Amino acid sequence: MTEQEIQQKGYAHPEALVTTEWVAQNLDDTENIRIIESDEDVLLYDIGHVPNAVKVDWVEDLNDPLTRDYLDPEHFANLMSEKGITPETTVVFYGDKNNWWATYALWVFRLFGHDNVRVMDGGRVKWEAEGRPITQEVPSFGRTDYPVPTRDDEKIRAFKEDVNKHLEADGSLVDVRSPGEYSGELLHMPDYPQEGALRGGHIPGAANVPWARAVREDGTFKSSEELKAIYEGEAGLSGDEDVIAYCRIGERSSHTWFVLTYLLGYDKVRNYDGSWTEWGNLVRAPIER
Amino acid sequence: MDRKDRIALLVEHAGNPRHEGVLESADVAMPGGGPECGGSVVVYLKGDGDGGIEDLSFTGQGDTISMGAASLIMQKVHDEGLAMDEVLDLDYGAFVESLGSDVVGSRTRNATLGLSTLKSAIRKYKRDKRPGA
Repeated sequence: MTEQEIQQKGYAHPEALVTTEWVAQNLDDTENIRIIESDEDVLLYDIGHVPNAVKVDWVEDLNDPLTRDYLDPEHFANLMSEKGITPETTVVFYGDKNNWWATYALWVFRLFGHDNVRVMDGGRVKWEAEGRPITQEVPSFGRTDYPVPTRDDEKIRAFKEDVNKHLEADGSLVDVRSPGEYSGELLHMPDYPQEGALRGGHIPGAANVPWARAVREDGTFKSSEELKAIYEGEAGLSGDEDVIAYCRIGERSSHTWFVLTYLLGYDKVRNYDGSWTEWGNLVRAPIER
Repeated sequence: MDRKDRIALLVEHAGNPRHEGVLESADVAMPGGGPECGGSVVVYLKGDGDGGIEDLSFTGQGDTISMGAASLIMQKVHDEGLAMDEVLDLDYGAFVESLGSDVVGSRTRNATLGLSTLKSAIRKYKRDKRPGA
């Protein structure tokens, strides 16, 4: 796929995606571009990665080790410095599982105002399928000066209080978990250690669109037309409304947040990272099955 | 073994899992984990009726750590001929240590998925075999 083909898919912000070919051609521009691998399978980077890519571990790098929250601005600045990133650096994310964790990392970067971000369409699986180079060599770029940013938790992140207000206003919600999680059925499987939630089901009124429906079999994102058919035709969402996406801990929903924000151009989409592990444990929180 | 070797061992086991497959004659088929959270397995256990393990296998899908570690624990139980109580006595921390704490990092739940599900299978076996059960 060429950059032109991404343009032809009709996205609101096609610049948010780059092709594997673009990455291959820009691998050595380490002065301006930093390629970041973010995976669910944390050993994949060690097994082999895109040359000149660095790794960001969503647990160890992006989460606070004690409080359930993301890293603070000082730690983010330090992480950027360690990875040789400046505020001007174009950061290109890619990863396994249809870029699930890549979009999660991207969303966290956006919390800190690092807006110059892209996703490699097709992710790791496409890079490998095309027989492109993989290395075990870990690059070192030297520390950079990255000013401590401000973290903005208002625009793209929702907390439970925001979800309550959103419910009162009859706002749109999209639950991106599997149908079994959405219906609450999975909590009833015997001896199945569902972590976190005491109750199963979904937030009242939420539509169910499993996150991976946004991608094709080769891992690339579906076209704008195809995405609209799913999110607007089937789920009834609209770019004119505020939308809150959630899943279990906010990782799968960051993928849907990326789709709605960048590919469909919705103005106000927030990711409720407390998600079901919070809502399903809240005393007296309304639940629908 | 250094870190690279420990990773290579997990990768090799994840790619070529030992004792993988459904055990039709199993007394217990125990599911564990979650398919969208590191990995999921089903452990198949057949007891010998005298505290021993007659046969054992697993099926699953997941990341390199969860699948590699599940295969390694299956191999250990088979090779060392561990009895059920000996498996229940296995220490999670020591098992993670044997895999390499530097490799597993914070993914201890993934690393112990196979072992914890095996322990659950043994407990269920014991419950089911209890007189009057």
